[in-house]
Amino acid sequence: MNASAAAAILPCWSCKGPVCGRALFCSVCGAVQGPNAADHFARLGMTPAYDIDIDALERQYFGFQRRLHPDRFAGRSGKEKMLSQQQATSLNEAYETLKDPLKRAVYLLGLLGRAVDLSACGTISDPELLMEQMEKREAIAEADTVEAITKLSASADADVIACQCHISAAFNAGDLDAAAELATRLKYLTKLAEDARARKGRLMRGA
Amino acid sequence: MAYSDKVIEHYENPRNVGSFDKDDKDVGTGLVGAPACGDVMKLQIKVSADGIIEDAKFKTFGCGSAIASSSLVTEWVKGKTLDEAEKIKNTEIAQELALPPVKIHCSVLAEDAIKAAIADYRKKTGEGDDVPEADAAAG
Repeated sequence: MNASAAAAILPCWSCKGPVCGRALFCSVCGAVQGPNAADHFARLGMTPAYDIDIDALERQYFGFQRRLHPDRFAGRSGKEKMLSQQQATSLNEAYETLKDPLKRAVYLLGLLGRAVDLSACGTISDPELLMEQMEKREAIAEADTVEAITKLSASADADVIACQCHISAAFNAGDLDAAAELATRLKYLTKLAEDARARKGRLMRGA
Repeated sequence: MAYSDKVIEHYENPRNVGSFDKDDKDVGTGLVGAPACGDVMKLQIKVSADGIIEDAKFKTFGCGSAIASSSLVTEWVKGKTLDEAEKIKNTEIAQELALPPVKIHCSVLAEDAIKAAIADYRKKTGEGDDVPEADAAAG
């Protein structure tokens, strides 16, 4: 856990007693706490790294969400209802970001000071990547048998996994530029794999 | 947000889909991508000896707006000089197709694609693309 906000001791809004920054509830009075400014990794008790234990992530997330279930706050004050919802929203955002290999890579790059914005309007002109993508997308569009598309789809899925391994290696080597470039590549490969799966579905239904 | 009629029209009936041989010396090729949606767009122009764009083709893998934007641009550039074609702005494309704000990047992609195709053609023919045009007299 790196974020100082997560480790800091803050006063409980209700009883003013000390609460650990990452705690969902005050250990003195039991009041639910609002989400603090922790990063997504710290919020879910994970070490900030690309390689994460997905099982541990899910255990943490679902454990927290159970404790914040709206049913548990039915008889509580409006403020507690609101804070529990804010906590649930923050945890949800953290979980959705970290469980996705592409979002996790982009988020971690941002945390490490090498921001990449894959949602912006920017365009790229990396000829090698684009040429490869153009050819593979054409091959998928032209595949007209289940056998052919199954092969292409499997190959696209394998490319996604391989790219994730390369991203992991780049992070482990501290090569953030390579990780950033690979994140863009992963975005394209993920899209290609989705495209192949959709085409496979259509061909299998005989459409 | 629903697509506008113009986007649907271009999407269902795209103009100028296809390819030229990128090694032909009168062909300029622009290949660009939008990482935001994993789109890839290839736009090619065929230029006459006197610098007029005679024909244009595109191939786009992307959403309806990206396909419509590239289809529209291939129609617009035909008969234009390189300098005229270079002045096409994404805002004009977006306006013509009534693109919603979340799809503006599709028109940016088309603008960048035509610019890249022109730059590629100029590079091939040795026309310096950094040399400013003497268009002050035209003003």
